Amino acid sequence: MQNVYLAATSATPEVDFRFDSHRMSLKGESYPENAQAFYGPLLDAVGSYLAACRGTTIQIDVQLAYFNSSSTKLLMSLFEQFNQAALAGNHVLVNWFHDEEDDTILEFGEEIAEDYPALELLTQALV
Amino acid sequence: MGLTAFHRFQDLAREENVVFYYTGYFSQSVVTAMGDALRQRLNSSDATNVTRRKLFSVFVEMAQNVVHYSADPLIDAADAELRRGALWVGEKGDRFYVVCANPIAREAQPKLLAKLEPLRTMTLDEIKQRYKEKLRTEGEAGSKGAGLGFLTVARDACEPIEFDFVDEPDSATTLFYLKATL
Repeated sequence: MQNVYLAATSATPEVDFRFDSHRMSLKGESYPENAQAFYGPLLDAVGSYLAACRGTTIQIDVQLAYFNSSSTKLLMSLFEQFNQAALAGNHVLVNWFHDEEDDTILEFGEEIAEDYPALELLTQALV
Repeated sequence: MGLTAFHRFQDLAREENVVFYYTGYFSQSVVTAMGDALRQRLNSSDATNVTRRKLFSVFVEMAQNVVHYSADPLIDAADAELRRGALWVGEKGDRFYVVCANPIAREAQPKLLAKLEPLRTMTLDEIKQRYKEKLRTEGEAGSKGAGLGFLTVARDACEPIEFDFVDEPDSATTLFYLKATL
């Protein structure tokens, strides 16, 4: 499984999916013109990776300072895939970083934790 | 236009504390460039991090709304849209406001009105609740995003959103205005 690395741009986050060491990271801002076009291939890659995981411990660090409304649903789809993998016996840890004062980002992390309870999601304030 | 007209335009913009104004065709690269300029301007203001992020969020939702939905496209391809609209960001007292305008098909007005009107009277908790419900439902036909755009604007604004529709003469389109205060 090929790792995925995409450098950050003004409108897209840095994507660092190291499938070989089971560590993924999303960092930056997300407001691409077409969120489906940006996230679609990432969802496919994660899907193929997860299909081969058995009892694996996977860590995902999410440090998004801002995402637009159309990125929101695709992020939900991404965590839905990880939740399925967790239900299938993998251990998925999500570190959800947010600005100390930013309730919107924190609340979205809490939404993910509520909808996908098989994930171990830790919210962490950045100070 | 003579320079006198330009001076009048400048004076009005100054009186109204316009941070910036853009009118013309919107593409993602225009949105990104304006976003960078807005961010630099905010960095030199006293606004809190949260206000900055909310203002940026409202700006992106409105500007991308023009890119995706304005009824006057110059180019309409799946990944390279260019559509007509106008957007301005201003300051009033210790608040910022964002207004955008774009043409829509006249017959689209009732549907838009039905979406926007309830957002004016809902409390923030109700808006957040609706947002959560919408997040978990399938996107509606005709939507290029998640159908969450107006809810996001209403959620981030600190006063009820304002809107207006003004018919464009000799045209089948109506100008749709949307304003949010932060």
